[in-house]
Amino acid sequence: MSDLYSEVVRGSVTVWVFFSTLPLGKEVHILMASAIKIDGLTKKYIDVWQKQEVIAVNDLNLDVQEGEIFGFLGRNGAGKTTTIKMLLGLIFPTGGDATILGKPMGDNSVKQSLAYLPEETYFYDSMTGWDLIDYYGRLFKIPQPERARRVQQCLEKVRLQPDAWRRAVRGYSKGMRQRIGIAQALINDPKLLFLDEPTSGLDPIAHAELRDIVGSLKDEGKTVFLSSHQLADVELICSRIAIIHKGKLLTTGTIKELVEGERTEIVAQGSALHNGVFAKLKSIVPSVSIEGEDRVRLISTSAEEINAVIDLVRGAQGQIVAVVPQKRTLEDVFVETIRREEGEI
Amino acid sequence: MATKRLPDDLQNRRKKAVPILIVLYALTMFLQAQIDPRVRELRSGEQGLESTSGGLGGEFLLLPLLGFREAAAGLLWVRCDEFFHSGDYDAILPLVRLITWLDPHAENVFITGAWHLAYNFTDSTERSDRRYIVPSQELLKEGVRNNPRIPDINFELGWQNYDKVKDYSAAAAAFTAAINTRAWKGSDDFPYGAPLKTHHILAHTYAKQGRIPEAIAEWRRALARSAEQLARDPRNFTYISLNAAEKNNIKELFQRYHDRYTDHDHEKSVNPTKYPFVIAPPKGSNIPKPWDVNLHVKFEAPRPKVFKMSGTMNIADGARLEVRISDWDYDARDMKRRDVVSKEILQKFKVEEDQTILMDTASVRKNRFEKELDMSKDPRMYSFAADTYKVIFTFNIRTTSPHIQDRHGYSGEGLMDVKEHIVLDRHIDLLGTKMIEGQDGEGPVWDGKSVPWLIDGKGVYGQPARLVRVTYKLSRKQLLGLEPITNKDVVPNDAL
Amino acid sequence: MIPLAIANQTVREAMRRRVMWIFLISGLFLIAMGPVFGFLSPKDSQTVLRSLGLAAILLAGLFITIVTCIYLIPVEIERRTIYTVLSKPVQRYQFVLGKFLGGFATVFINIAAMGIVFLVLIYTQEHKVPMDMLLGVVMTFFQMLLLAALSIFFSTFTTPVVNFFLSFGVFMVGNLSSVTDSLASNPNPLVSNAGKIVHYLLPNFGNFNIQNSIIHPTIEIKNQEVFMMQNIIYAIVYSLVLLTLAVLIFDRREV
Repeated sequence: MSDLYSEVVRGSVTVWVFFSTLPLGKEVHILMASAIKIDGLTKKYIDVWQKQEVIAVNDLNLDVQEGEIFGFLGRNGAGKTTTIKMLLGLIFPTGGDATILGKPMGDNSVKQSLAYLPEETYFYDSMTGWDLIDYYGRLFKIPQPERARRVQQCLEKVRLQPDAWRRAVRGYSKGMRQRIGIAQALINDPKLLFLDEPTSGLDPIAHAELRDIVGSLKDEGKTVFLSSHQLADVELICSRIAIIHKGKLLTTGTIKELVEGERTEIVAQGSALHNGVFAKLKSIVPSVSIEGEDRVRLISTSAEEINAVIDLVRGAQGQIVAVVPQKRTLEDVFVETIRREEGEI
Repeated sequence: MATKRLPDDLQNRRKKAVPILIVLYALTMFLQAQIDPRVRELRSGEQGLESTSGGLGGEFLLLPLLGFREAAAGLLWVRCDEFFHSGDYDAILPLVRLITWLDPHAENVFITGAWHLAYNFTDSTERSDRRYIVPSQELLKEGVRNNPRIPDINFELGWQNYDKVKDYSAAAAAFTAAINTRAWKGSDDFPYGAPLKTHHILAHTYAKQGRIPEAIAEWRRALARSAEQLARDPRNFTYISLNAAEKNNIKELFQRYHDRYTDHDHEKSVNPTKYPFVIAPPKGSNIPKPWDVNLHVKFEAPRPKVFKMSGTMNIADGARLEVRISDWDYDARDMKRRDVVSKEILQKFKVEEDQTILMDTASVRKNRFEKELDMSKDPRMYSFAADTYKVIFTFNIRTTSPHIQDRHGYSGEGLMDVKEHIVLDRHIDLLGTKMIEGQDGEGPVWDGKSVPWLIDGKGVYGQPARLVRVTYKLSRKQLLGLEPITNKDVVPNDAL
Repeated sequence: MIPLAIANQTVREAMRRRVMWIFLISGLFLIAMGPVFGFLSPKDSQTVLRSLGLAAILLAGLFITIVTCIYLIPVEIERRTIYTVLSKPVQRYQFVLGKFLGGFATVFINIAAMGIVFLVLIYTQEHKVPMDMLLGVVMTFFQMLLLAALSIFFSTFTTPVVNFFLSFGVFMVGNLSSVTDSLASNPNPLVSNAGKIVHYLLPNFGNFNIQNSIIHPTIEIKNQEVFMMQNIIYAIVYSLVLLTLAVLIFDRREV
């Protein structure tokens, strides 16, 4: 069995060495199914006036798999937009590297399969919605009549009312603009979308609709790199997230991993629990709160603790009233992660 | 230190672009070197902005700076028009100067500006300020230099010399230059360089000079041209009437030429010699005496700067006696002014405030003339700053009307003055005139050898006009009426 | 094709700007004023009509070119539309070229409109086709080509306000070609070298001012066709230099 394993490893290495010597070596990454692979990406600015070095993104490492909706979270100014702009070649890194769909970042050919919705874009607001999407279609050299078909498809997909298609974007509501923004991102049927705050500032209905549109992209096999503050949305539609703070990656993982944790709340009751049991419980778990004469509520973080607590309570003739696994919200995770970084916890 | 790392394709593009960029940039410099000589030729005559800026506000400079020289000139010219209407004559001068600097081909501005300088600055009795004649003529000469293909400016220069300055030789030169303008397809006068009227006025100028054969030849050239025009367009009324006028003019000239020099008995007043070489009848000659004008002049200053000229002159009614009151050294200073033209006069049309000059005429009726000359009301024009003055009374046969010339000849051959007031106008360019035989004679035929007149030691083929002239040399006190003016102040013509 | 798509969009956007219309209408108004001014000075009515018309086209063209071209790229950055464009398979040079072509097409449309009105006006007054005036309009047009390239070049690294004064200033200095040309032959080597640098390195806008020779029919340009062609080639080559520089700078620009 171990022979077979080492054989496979050796074979893989041989294949890898073979491919990496080819000029097409970079194509190998596609086989690895990484949509975005960020390796030590760094962006430093020199503040000319204060002669200070500002680090916008600091040694960022990230791996986004194809087909997932990846949430990229962080406070304002954390470096989210800077990262996206570097990946798209709009600005240039001062260190590190990244590949997008197997090509180095900023590569023009890969943009054929990319899409970007910037935060708060105004668009060419004297153009009509239709003309605007048509214009972006022309930038992809999509010929007519295919282009007209795609424009219509995109506008329908973002559920922009057809009577607005031939109206100037100037008169659009915020929700309509955001729809147009997503429509322009979809015109090339991209493999990978960078969406920067697609749902912020919208009314609840529009919010829900747009969130569903973004969520539905996953079903089409698209990869979405979603930068957002709307933690509820992220929790709903993202499979994995990363939290970035002051240019530094704090944590990354699946939502499940991050929110579920291993905390369990135990509530015990019993008149005999006064007699030294509380003190013993405190030595097992740090968080114990006494509620009334004979009731105690405590949080444990491991199975050993739970068992020890139950043994202790039962041994003192007490009753276990409830054992509840505790689930945190993404917001809890976010706030806690940031606070811990800031040294507030 | 943070350095941006650009994607490879951008860096490669940079490497490729730099050599191309250098080649293209070098090409622009090469092209510029090709363009320069042509532009230099186009711009000749335009004044640099550094000289244009003198005394002008920045708003005037902005337009030329941006390449709107002609439009700025055009708009300024429109503004000038307002000044003409409102009579703000001083404001026009800097504008004329600026416009002709901005647009050295604005021929109408040269012409109108020069006319304005020469004619519009007057004293309270409408006498011209003759100090402006030098800048006026210099402006015209500049216009001629900048516009060698336009006859109009030379025509104006000629007309000013003919009409205002009465310098017929200068006038003839300018009219001739106008006629010799190279013919140019776009002009109304093609295939000729100048309009027909230029020939007419040149013929009149020759006649005024006493160059009668040349005047006749000029009329003949004009006739040939109008006949040509008439042949092309026989029903054109302008051509018909011009042609008729020319015929009439040449006929009249022949008549006068014949009468003045060939008819002994003509009014008993014409010099009887057959060939008009006579300055004064030789002593002891039995040739009938020429007409004695017997000029008496009285010049008084009844009030400061107010003068009264009166006297008698034995001549037909309508003759005019010219008077000129000026600084004693006015002519010398005037010549000097013309020498420093480019520096002072052409920059600002400046006149010398301390110079005094007045020219006027008094007409003779029944052998008497009388005129008051009030120079007290225009201190800006007549400063009386000099110590010594010249007051000259002249009867000039050249500028007089034809009916007087009929009596005394083109050059005053039949004139004398018992008081020996006769002087010769020694203008160098008066060409010799030879008799033509009768009314339909063959025009001027000079043998090319004979030297009838010697002027300043040089042989000149010409005939000086005989002027009748009285000159006073007066002090400032005399002109201010503080001291009397007497006949002792008259300077003999020989002494001048 | 991509630059053309961008140019097309740029023209449509630029033609909607109110400030451009203000200058266009002012220019047309000035041209129409020509006969009125000509009437004021009847002897020179032809000269006034022509010089004023050409000047109006140049003046309006100048402002339209500058106010159009200085904003083309900055407004894309300010409104973040450039992110949506450059994140698509659009090379940066294609973007700059597209913006330039769009700006220039806008200038062309404006100058053509004023030129046609001007030529028709002269035709109604003189009843002949004024070919020399057409040449004048064409020269103005190529002068504006160079100016458009200059404004685009500056716009890759300055703000519109700074660019306005820069473009205007270089246009002025470039118009002093006769002064710089005479400085270049100054006996003082310091002055002559400075003159040469300005004369040969800066875009020479003065070359295109042929108004004088076409307003006054007696002035003749020797080898007129060669002179015109040299100027046109100069404008095109210099514009290429500026656009290449603009691309090189814009390639490094972080948007």
